[in-house]
Amino acid sequence: MREDQQHMKRLLAFALVGTFVFAACGGGAGSPSPSPAASSAAAASPTATPKPVKIGLVTDVGGLNDKSFNSLANQGRLDAEKDFKVTTSVTESKKQEDYVPNLTNYAQQSYDLVIAVGFLMTNATWKVAKQFPNVKFAIIDGAPADDAGNTQNLPNVANLFFKEQEAGYLVGVIAATMAKNKVGKATHNTLCAMGGIPIPPVDRYIAGYQDAIKTIDPSATILNGYSNDFVDQAKGKEVGLNHISKGCDILFQVAGASGLGYIAAAKEKGVYAIGVDADQADVAPGTIITSALKRVNKAVYDTIGAVQKGTYKAGDNFFSAANDGVGYGKLDAAVPADAKAAADQALADIKSGKITPKDQLQVK
Amino acid sequence: MTVASQTSPTGPVAAPSVRQPTAQWAQGPLVPLVSVGVALVLGAVFVLISGNDPIAAYSALVKGAFGSPYDITETLINAIPLTLAGLSVAVAFRTGLFNIGAQGQLLVGAVAAGAVGARFADLPGVLLLPMTLLAGILGGAAYGAIAGWLKATRGVNEVITTIMQNYTIVFVMHWLLQNGPMTAPNAFGTPASAPIGAGAVLPIIVPDTLVPLSRLHAGLVLAILAVVVFWFLLWRTALGYELRAVGLGPRAAAQAGIEPKRRMVVVMAIAGGFAGLAGMIQVSGVFHRVYDGFSAGFGFDAIAVALLGKNSPIGIALAGLLFGAFARGGAIMQSNANISSHLVEIVEAIVLFVIAAETLIRAIAKRRGTPAEAL
Amino acid sequence: MTIEMLLGAGVLAATLRLATPILFAALGGVITERSGVTNIALEGCMLVGAFFGVFVADKTGSLGVAIAAGVLAGIVLAALHAVAAVTFRADQIVTGMALNILALGLTSYLDYEAYATTGTPSTIPLVPDFVVPGLSQVPFVSDVIGRQNTLVWAAIIATVVLQLYLFRTIPGLRLRAVGEHPRAADTVGVNVYTTRYLAVLASGALAALGGVYLSLGAVGSFSDNMTGGRGFIGLAAMIFGRWTPIGALVASLIFGYGDALSVSLQGVTIGDLRVPVQLLSTIPYVLTILAVAGFVGRSRMPAADGQPYESEGH
Repeated sequence: MREDQQHMKRLLAFALVGTFVFAACGGGAGSPSPSPAASSAAAASPTATPKPVKIGLVTDVGGLNDKSFNSLANQGRLDAEKDFKVTTSVTESKKQEDYVPNLTNYAQQSYDLVIAVGFLMTNATWKVAKQFPNVKFAIIDGAPADDAGNTQNLPNVANLFFKEQEAGYLVGVIAATMAKNKVGKATHNTLCAMGGIPIPPVDRYIAGYQDAIKTIDPSATILNGYSNDFVDQAKGKEVGLNHISKGCDILFQVAGASGLGYIAAAKEKGVYAIGVDADQADVAPGTIITSALKRVNKAVYDTIGAVQKGTYKAGDNFFSAANDGVGYGKLDAAVPADAKAAADQALADIKSGKITPKDQLQVK
Repeated sequence: MTVASQTSPTGPVAAPSVRQPTAQWAQGPLVPLVSVGVALVLGAVFVLISGNDPIAAYSALVKGAFGSPYDITETLINAIPLTLAGLSVAVAFRTGLFNIGAQGQLLVGAVAAGAVGARFADLPGVLLLPMTLLAGILGGAAYGAIAGWLKATRGVNEVITTIMQNYTIVFVMHWLLQNGPMTAPNAFGTPASAPIGAGAVLPIIVPDTLVPLSRLHAGLVLAILAVVVFWFLLWRTALGYELRAVGLGPRAAAQAGIEPKRRMVVVMAIAGGFAGLAGMIQVSGVFHRVYDGFSAGFGFDAIAVALLGKNSPIGIALAGLLFGAFARGGAIMQSNANISSHLVEIVEAIVLFVIAAETLIRAIAKRRGTPAEAL
Repeated sequence: MTIEMLLGAGVLAATLRLATPILFAALGGVITERSGVTNIALEGCMLVGAFFGVFVADKTGSLGVAIAAGVLAGIVLAALHAVAAVTFRADQIVTGMALNILALGLTSYLDYEAYATTGTPSTIPLVPDFVVPGLSQVPFVSDVIGRQNTLVWAAIIATVVLQLYLFRTIPGLRLRAVGEHPRAADTVGVNVYTTRYLAVLASGALAALGGVYLSLGAVGSFSDNMTGGRGFIGLAAMIFGRWTPIGALVASLIFGYGDALSVSLQGVTIGDLRVPVQLLSTIPYVLTILAVAGFVGRSRMPAADGQPYESEGH
């Protein structure tokens, strides 16, 4: 007992001393964090320089290194910082509990635009944006949703949506054309995909991919799998090897970092793979025939630009084939001209509305 | 006495060491002061190497955690589940069991609380809140009891069971919430359950007029109560006496006449109950529904919380607060001082390491000829 | 469900691949705990091994140097644990947890700084497969073990060597004595501190090899937290295997088999009911609990495991 009390005293002393030391350090330095007061003072100053626009980006739990939409969103932020001379900041959410406080932190400091990356933040964005009507928000892959789960658009939230099924369709056209004509290593007329987890933004990609295959190469075998993970590469590779053993020779990954393992399986076994989100041609040249692009970086970049120019638009903003929000990436030398032509035709047809790729899976 | 001896997986427990005369300064605030100083300097080296200003970094960390009433409430919101999960780990440690499974038990408690809170959403709060609370505690307790029961009847080491249980519930939740029986038809396309009824929601306890936007909920009260219950249970009940006797060594336990099999099940159930309560509080206080993959990591940090707090009630609460401050301050350190969140992790690790190696500071004192406290 | 999904060559080959990183971690656990030091930082050692393997492979282009660097990184992390646990008698669980956080923070930080925009390059040298000579004509067997990564074989060889070392050599006997009765070992002239230091360093090296296998053997790149808790699974496999290398091998194989099933059984239906893909992922964990409950039961750890030692001369 005595010992416990001793320890408690010590721990209390720790807490106190620690706080004191921290506070002393903190007090001694000029605060580096831009306070709202400072920025409003800058705005009021008579100099001609416009008020610096401040942008805050909050990632979801995937973090900046997710090899997926968080890292792309960050890329858009960094590009905008360079081109528009805006001040930007980023916060990585470590757990889902952090979404509300992380968004609130930027709003409290009167940031001009707070960007929530990912559909996991639809409710958090609604909660915070409602409290800060004078701060502009943007959310990627979603719209603000109230506590009951119903979408409630707010006048200060831009919803940035992507038509992943269009990107999936385009790479599906390329894959199916190659499979049908047995080009290169694609000899088994079997095409596969692996998602991270079965949720709509993932399944939309795969749905478009399957739709294109069913349209162009109806006799093809289609397989679909999940790594149940966005991080574990080794698991992704096993799903890949399993698919390849069943005859797959074109593998489409929609699983973030876990998908890199899926690509690694294709590379090891000498078959083709398709990248996702970013252009992943450099991940495995000769293996990656193309990538399904979802230009989250463009959406972030454009939205920041719109805030600066005063053309920010709340409510739904769609990023689709029509405005280059989605597309297909660099083509490998193995992709024949007719596959490229078919993809370009499909792209034109999607733009004109002649084709509307399905957003529901046909093969689960 | 060393905590490690209590924490060994199958729990051979060393006899308490003889206390030796302790140098005056080693008991006072000097050791913590030096330890924190060492941790700060080491952390600063990393921040400096990365090309950032350590003073700005630490300033943001502290301001983020304690800088304003709002910041303090956010720190407390983090501290609540950490403290509760810490109690879960500690109650097992006290009896020589290593509960690595607080994370899994927390999630089971959350699922149970979320299921009850949504299923009976129309009931009034006076009924629904206790039901939800009970569901959370019982859910966690049942999951914990499995580990105790397997150990008692089949000799399965609880470290194995609880590690495996942590993973199992994660994938079961994937199923329940992504496209399974608990998945809300209308959950913004997010893997989540239907919302719990208004009666199951823990109210905000800090009025908006006092701290605008505060999210601090009545879970704080439950957490404080749990700390008191932990103390009462271990030091004021016959069961607690038995449990602590076991913690002091098998021989002491035998003399106290304890039936070890029953004890293992009971202890792991109690441990699971504390963690399950943490899960229930996150559902009823923070989210008001169950999200897939939420509360990542609380149950693991809880192991450090319990051990830093030397498995004592106040110690755990303080350690929970320290970790809560890191969680909150770390995010602000990134957003306001532009320090990579990974550097925050590195600094946190160094602080933890140096505090654990407190004897390092004592050892230096010893070499200078001062008789330091024997551990 | 077909027999192919349960016992096909593909499933068995996957079992070996998935067991390998866990086995390396478990072997590391065996050697350190046999000497009386708990090392919960195996996960961190794996992670630094995985990162520095890739990083140095990228910078030097030399596979040998890269593997050495990965292993060295694991040894350095383990050395921190040894200093705290052996010399300063710190709480071994807390320092282990701290080192896990440190490893995650450090590798993620460096990964972002080095590869955020480009990703790890596609040109880094990989640990090659080892083709068992003369096996290519043997059906089934050749599909299972005919062509596995060299590190898969290294893990199996390490298991045998460690088993012989611990239970058939004098130094191994001394190491176990230090873990069971450090005072007695000290009395007969065994240096408890040196023995424990070396054992902890060895555990870091072995776990790091598991990480190197993941990054340079299995997939050829690094991503944050790519070990995904395999160090902890390794810890469980060590206990499952009763603190013996052979036991750890069996435990790792059982877990790896469950993991392989979770992939091969995707799409399986029971009657009209399709088994949810998420529930398949629980197979390795549930299988492990069932296996321990059904076949292993009680196991005894080294008597002085986790207890700091203070020689009376100090």
